[in-house]
Amino acid sequence: MSAELNNFFTAKRLRWFAAAIVLVNGFFPAVWILFTSLKNEVELTAKPITYWPQNPVLSNYVAAFRDQPLPGYLLNSVIVATLSMLLALFISTLAAYAIARLNLKRRNLILTAIIAVSMFPLVTLMVPLFEIMRGLNLLNTYTALVLPYTVLNLPICTLVLVSFFQDIPRDIENAAMIDGCTRLGALWHVVMPLAAPGVFTAGILAFVNAWDEFLLSISMNAAVAYRTLPVGIQMYQGEFSFPWPTISAALVIALIPVVTVILIFQERVVSGLTSGGLKG
Amino acid sequence: MTARSLRDRILDPSETALAWALLAPALLFIAIIVAYPVATLLINSFFDIRLSRGLPTSFIGFDNYAAALHDSMFWRAVKNTLIITFVTVPGALVVGLGLAMLANMPFRFRGPIRLALLLPWALPLAFVGLIFAWFFHSEYGIINDIIRRFGGAPQIWFNSPGLTMMAICIATIWKTSSFMALILLAGLQTIPASLYEAAEVDGASKWTQFVEITLPLLVPSMLVALIFRTLTAIQSFDIPFSMPGPGEETQTLAMYIQLNTVDYLDLGYGSTLAVFMFLLSMATTWVYLRYVRGDKD
Repeated sequence: MSAELNNFFTAKRLRWFAAAIVLVNGFFPAVWILFTSLKNEVELTAKPITYWPQNPVLSNYVAAFRDQPLPGYLLNSVIVATLSMLLALFISTLAAYAIARLNLKRRNLILTAIIAVSMFPLVTLMVPLFEIMRGLNLLNTYTALVLPYTVLNLPICTLVLVSFFQDIPRDIENAAMIDGCTRLGALWHVVMPLAAPGVFTAGILAFVNAWDEFLLSISMNAAVAYRTLPVGIQMYQGEFSFPWPTISAALVIALIPVVTVILIFQERVVSGLTSGGLKG
Repeated sequence: MTARSLRDRILDPSETALAWALLAPALLFIAIIVAYPVATLLINSFFDIRLSRGLPTSFIGFDNYAAALHDSMFWRAVKNTLIITFVTVPGALVVGLGLAMLANMPFRFRGPIRLALLLPWALPLAFVGLIFAWFFHSEYGIINDIIRRFGGAPQIWFNSPGLTMMAICIATIWKTSSFMALILLAGLQTIPASLYEAAEVDGASKWTQFVEITLPLLVPSMLVALIFRTLTAIQSFDIPFSMPGPGEETQTLAMYIQLNTVDYLDLGYGSTLAVFMFLLSMATTWVYLRYVRGDKD
């Protein structure tokens, strides 16, 4: 390659160009949906299509709340994601502490077995779970989603927490136990506060995973009262009509919680995602 | 040491017993939500269980398996699934690598760049499908608008199975490449700068540095990301479901399993199809693990 091209590669304007590509790629679909949600019917069907909304209107947001019980879908998503996150955190904290710290033979085998759950195809699991939940009359309940989501989140939560527990010096809990703490007392009072960033990271990943899940949600909880957001959003379309401005407005509202979470916790999310990839 | 009281022993049992007690909830959950259902799945695949008919279930041996092998809809679903896998896994790797290289440049403000990689990861797949269905809308979609502006012929994307598959693959690559980029970016940042400085001294070009230093050192993080990306591509459901083509031409295996199980309530056949999905996943994992092991020897 020529020296000229090498010079070009180090140029400052190339950095701006690179940044522009990454930013447009990441943000454009969300921005476009926001624009669409602000256009009125006349503008939307104009040809050629307009890019920037000429006369922004909020009527599509009114329609989004009128045509479907959007707050109900939001609430269902929050309930299911929060409960399965808390349950997964509790169970995986205990398991990760045992694997990272306690006198256990074959600890790597146990960790591998828990992680192997994430290799299992969810569609395969959906078929028998559907039959079981149907038999137990649990279709269209929060339980039908919270229990599977908890298990789906165990691998990533356990993996993140094991690596955090291993980084905490043993001397600290030994000191606590000499002072009269039991093992579990030391876990709760000494180790957990130190591992809080790890618990937090695992919690965010678990929450987003549950928030995004679609296949189990549409299979188990199709009834309107128990639909989560990804399922509910699909219901705006009629048999022959796709009310795109209304769908866009609903999507914008549905995006706000997740965007807020990653905006506040982006560093934690990135460290959690990559710790699994690099250490695993 | 004095003899321990009963209370002490309960509160501070031997470490190994405590370890198993702490592992018990996780193992119990996995047994109930994964192991037991999978056992029933295997058994059900040998039975005729059509709940919509109200008949008692009957053992039919391998009939469901034979039916699947003669089911043209099954084979079409497998074909669509494999197309999506073979297009979007390499696609996401290439695009993800490109994004990671771009994002690894020395920017002053890293926050917005990181956010731009995180947003596609955090968006639910079902939303991405809807958003891209709107992009590819035949009348008001931005893709056809761009084609028109460049003087091309706009397409009715969702009237043709081929064009629909193309749209599905583009949406899938967009959604999954950013996660790939995050993993690869973390890998890039562990490569010591001194390696590049030494190569620079030796007069190696940027391209040689990329091929000789960057790519080989990225292989471990690539492999892990690729295994999971392939396993999820085989299970493609959300995006093809939200971007339907004509009829059921672009149905994937996951969609066909869900249709038979939930809509037709044919649990026997649904279970058999799910077994095929399981075998496909296991074969994929096996190929990757073999490659990883072969690489280390």
